Amino acid sequence: MAQTNRIEPDLQFIRDLQAAGGESLKKCYQCATCSVVCPLSPEQNPYPRKEMIWAQWGLKDKLVGDLDMWLCHNCGQCSEQCPRGAKPADLMAAMRNMAYQNIAQPAIMGKLMSAPKYLPVLVAIPAVIFLVVWFITAGFGTPVDENGNVLWRLVFPQTAFIDPLFALTAIAVALIFARGVLNLIKTFNDSPQAPVGGVPVMDVLKSTWQVIKDEILTHAKFKSCGGDNTDRYYGHMGIFFGFIALFIVTAYVGAAYWLGVFTGLDLKTPMSLWNPFKILANVATIGLIIGLVLVTKRRLNLDDAKFKSCYYDWYLLGVIWVVVLTGMFSQLLRLANVPGIAYPVYFLHLVSIFMLFAYLPWSKLAHLVYRTIALGYARKVGREPKPQV
Amino acid sequence: MEHSGILVVGGGFSGITAALEAAEVGHEVYIVEKNSYLGGRVSQLNQYFPKLCPPSCGLEINYQRIKNNPLVKYFTMAEVVSIAGKPGEYTAKIKISPRYVNTNCTACDKCTQACPVETDSEFDFGLRKRKAIYRPHLNSFPLRYVIDPAVCLGKTCSKCVEACPYNAVELEEQPKEITLSVGAVIWATGWKPYDLGKLEILGSGKVKNAISNMQMERLASPSGPTNGKIVRPSDGKEPQRIGFVQCAGSRDESHLSYCSYICCMASLKQVTYLRAQYPDAQIVIYYIDLRTPGRYDKFLQKIREDENVLMVKGKVAKVEEDGATGDVLVTAEDIIHGLKKEERFDMVVLATGMQPNMAGQALPMEMQLDEEGFCISQEDGFSAVGCAKMPLDVMRSAQTATGAALKAIQTVVGR
Repeated sequence: MAQTNRIEPDLQFIRDLQAAGGESLKKCYQCATCSVVCPLSPEQNPYPRKEMIWAQWGLKDKLVGDLDMWLCHNCGQCSEQCPRGAKPADLMAAMRNMAYQNIAQPAIMGKLMSAPKYLPVLVAIPAVIFLVVWFITAGFGTPVDENGNVLWRLVFPQTAFIDPLFALTAIAVALIFARGVLNLIKTFNDSPQAPVGGVPVMDVLKSTWQVIKDEILTHAKFKSCGGDNTDRYYGHMGIFFGFIALFIVTAYVGAAYWLGVFTGLDLKTPMSLWNPFKILANVATIGLIIGLVLVTKRRLNLDDAKFKSCYYDWYLLGVIWVVVLTGMFSQLLRLANVPGIAYPVYFLHLVSIFMLFAYLPWSKLAHLVYRTIALGYARKVGREPKPQV
Repeated sequence: MEHSGILVVGGGFSGITAALEAAEVGHEVYIVEKNSYLGGRVSQLNQYFPKLCPPSCGLEINYQRIKNNPLVKYFTMAEVVSIAGKPGEYTAKIKISPRYVNTNCTACDKCTQACPVETDSEFDFGLRKRKAIYRPHLNSFPLRYVIDPAVCLGKTCSKCVEACPYNAVELEEQPKEITLSVGAVIWATGWKPYDLGKLEILGSGKVKNAISNMQMERLASPSGPTNGKIVRPSDGKEPQRIGFVQCAGSRDESHLSYCSYICCMASLKQVTYLRAQYPDAQIVIYYIDLRTPGRYDKFLQKIREDENVLMVKGKVAKVEEDGATGDVLVTAEDIIHGLKKEERFDMVVLATGMQPNMAGQALPMEMQLDEEGFCISQEDGFSAVGCAKMPLDVMRSAQTATGAALKAIQTVVGR
């Protein structure tokens, strides 16, 4: 007798996947057009056809430990050519969304980030924190400095509040990610990965460095993805490098402030508009806006029959839009010196920044870490670069 | 009832069958056929499945029945302009395009030899050329030549008129319109092969050695462009590795969303054509599901016994031409083994499906079509049959035709 393999479908997992963006997965009839038209999918155990049947059968273990979901860069050729409208690209995205939901602890955060109905809670947490501070510092007033100018510190003090809050958040996020990454690597180790080829790079750090150098900084995968990826390529690049630049500026602002605190030098904000860091910040903002416009326009123009954007996509895009727009208007209103509107806008800016960073491990932005690690792992085991048979 | 005649629109296998069934029990029938010959798609086939006999045999018998039965009247080069009325009393306007060749024609071929104009033969799906005046095909019924006005040079040339010893060529013939009064209508407008040009990932019909299954029928047919020798269209090479691409444009929401029912059997049948000519040729059939309903499964089992026929579960999603050799490069994922692979073939057959001829066409009378263009009307006095109704093989087309004949008779006799 042949060995009997009993399939134990996890029906709840199927429903969760459908809720996380893979709603059409049941339409797949396994023709494998998707695996063929995907330009990134390797010859040995290509994706996403196999993920489609795992999803239909509710094979949670295979799906959770599937490295290939991170190799997919979502160009959508599979969904474009799918004869059934089963939307394999959306399933791959849904699998990643499930990863954002489940990899990082505490799990309750993953749940809160999974559906729009919890959005008020996510907004309320930072809103309450910042409102309390606003009340303590200025009783919801809109104070100005000795020259009659708007000065953020008067409402949200940097020494006592902003820097400690975000420093603690950063440490927490880093620790959560560290656990998450270990968890992710464990799922990869636990699930028998597809047969691999090529020349494995044994050192995972070295292979991750290669990923950063050859893929992330160049955005090379967007170019080798199928179809026309111009909007995604420039869109992602604008947002990515925009954030890198703003990260540098923020790091400078923090460092300069604390240097000032300890040395007595006046390195506090606001910076002069001609300060190189300020110029960098404003250039980065423009890059971000261009990137946002490109990716948002692309999502709005998607053909419903082939692709569907889900909550994870819109949450991230929405929060970044709010961060960028409130940031930009905070600066303009500060310069125009309209305290009555400037402070509320700055408040929204802080709330959205908190939502972007504190919830990062459970949001789509977590791909920043997980995809990097997964691509490094793929290089380590020889599944990347795409082995040739 | 006002009128006792029955109008059959379409003179393919279904139409002929319906007409004969009704005529042979005493009803007057009119067949209106768009082409210059009767027999439709079936006359383009090399063999029927599963018995592998040539359709010319069955068609020949039917043509005899038509000739011998005064109750059957047929019009070729004819199209229905309009049908009005109700069950029992329809009025049909028929437009008859000029054939430019009268009944004096003896098919001596002198006109064709004299004709200076060449164009692609639609009967052979472009696999060979024909002249502007030509015999529709070897077994065409009625056996009379025809002029293609789209390419004919007309009176300035007149070489065919001079060459014809029987005064059979009439370049001045004009279109005619006739009116028929009938009691019932049988709709047998049939199908067309799905357009390869629309299958972008399968080469858009531009890969020379990736032919359609209907082209394969012509290649294999003794009356075809190669007298039945199956060779590559680009260079006449005898193929040793042949791939079959099933569901080429079928079961696909972007093309034909349904299964055409016959393509799996057609490909398996074509494997037997190849095997008869090339005992050692390697054949690969790429499929999603092999659908061989009922007794056809035996046919599949027989093909499976052939060691040089490999069946790969996985749809081909890339067909490219290797410019230097003319070979066809085909990529599919073998889903049983999880292996995506590009394979090289001498020749590839794209198993395209059947699209109803009515798809996207203006209709001469009110009827209900589904999204794909199949007729779903069900009413007294009107029946759709054969592939105008749904994708069917020849046998089941004939069954629908017989049923429709009975329904039409019930309408015209009033019970």
